[in-house]
Amino acid sequence: MSYRYFVFAAAFGAFVAFGPARAAGQAISPAVKAVTAGKAWTPPRTSDGQPDLQGVWTNNTVTPLQRPKELAGKEFYSEEELAAVVKKERQRLDLNLDEGRPTEPGTADDVHYDFSQFGLDRGQAKMAWNRRTSIIVGPEGTMPPLTPEARKRIAERRAQAKGHEFDGPENRPIGARCIARTNVGPPLLPTAYNSNLQIVQGAGYVAIETEMIHDTRIIPTDGRPHISSNIRQWYGDSVGHWEGDTLVIDTTNFTDLSPFEDAQNVHVIERLTAVDPDTILYQFTVEDPAMWTKPWSGELPITRIQGQIYEYACHEANYGLVNTLRGARVAEEQAAKKAAK
Amino acid sequence: MAGLGLLGAALPVWAHHAFAAEFDQNKPLKLKGTVVKWEVTNPHSWIHMNVKDDDGKVVEWMIEGGSPNNLYRLGFTKDSLPPGAEIVVEGYQAKDGSTRAVGKNVTFADGRKLFLGLQNGPPEAQGEKK
Repeated sequence: MSYRYFVFAAAFGAFVAFGPARAAGQAISPAVKAVTAGKAWTPPRTSDGQPDLQGVWTNNTVTPLQRPKELAGKEFYSEEELAAVVKKERQRLDLNLDEGRPTEPGTADDVHYDFSQFGLDRGQAKMAWNRRTSIIVGPEGTMPPLTPEARKRIAERRAQAKGHEFDGPENRPIGARCIARTNVGPPLLPTAYNSNLQIVQGAGYVAIETEMIHDTRIIPTDGRPHISSNIRQWYGDSVGHWEGDTLVIDTTNFTDLSPFEDAQNVHVIERLTAVDPDTILYQFTVEDPAMWTKPWSGELPITRIQGQIYEYACHEANYGLVNTLRGARVAEEQAAKKAAK
Repeated sequence: MAGLGLLGAALPVWAHHAFAAEFDQNKPLKLKGTVVKWEVTNPHSWIHMNVKDDDGKVVEWMIEGGSPNNLYRLGFTKDSLPPGAEIVVEGYQAKDGSTRAVGKNVTFADGRKLFLGLQNGPPEAQGEKK
């Protein structure tokens, strides 16, 4: 698999590993502990009295969305086990930096830039460590099974797309077209790199900007209802309210392409709670009875970083989309010539 | 998009674009030359470099690399890869045969990796390897 999918797999289920040298000393995010232990800390207030969640944050993590099979039934690492995970992550990055990407020359997997050379390896950024073995909580730690109808829908869409992946720009993934990224969600999920976000608050509003790929969700907290269900948006329609110090965001009105392809009526509830000056506990529940047989929930800490969000103007140099399609046309020409011989 | 691979459910998928569809795994190359400019752009940055071909003619190549955001966060600036800098690129040429390539490895002529060309040194707080 390509390095990109290697990273993807790390994030979303295949294995756990990886961690920067320095992060080892930062130890474990107390997020989970703090919440279960009750409130020991009260966040500061904005000028209009909201709990202040503002700042620049990252949800960069090695924790996969779904629990790997080998960790079935184990929801948390012990402190010692997590230390071993951190160490393994550090060794993996060291090896990558010393010897280059672990891919075989001359293979499709090898046709990629080395993430670490551009500072994009997740181990080169601050990590939101925590003891969970998967972002999805509960004894299973995996997404629930799809409904039979959802399986059918997905199979049909796949069959239609098959063989047409490179026909034109509209056949390419929405991320490659710089339209939307599923890490924006909601739910907010970590992504392979630039896994950063900024929260800004004004009277009656909270705004969450995700660096990948430049999107800002503006969330009113004034009690207004959702927009008409006839209006569908890439990131849905979010409305929020405060429950004590927790920001609760309710999102509906998604399209059937984002954040979960073929999920027609996703409903996402997010809870953001500042648990110490540098940590927000992020919790979410996703439901769509036409998609999954039951709702599923996740949580991960979001940790404060220094500096700023950098602009990610995705289309400013998206030569890749053009080059990819041109590559497909050249491949077709070559195949036609070969067939004519 | 197919987007539903790996785990069988509609998971969020990281797939910016298909590098293997853009560049040819059967056309590996190694280029040595000088930086003309660095397009500090997203989703991927592009290094333009002059390379002398076998006849001594100078040809400009464009090399696709990663998003520059985290290099900036780590202290890299446009001056860290200035015009005239000598670099060596190992990568793969574009499928259409044009003078474009993906830079698998990009190093300065003295062998330093791009990431280690940080002018101000990496900041302490972000957890990167020194």
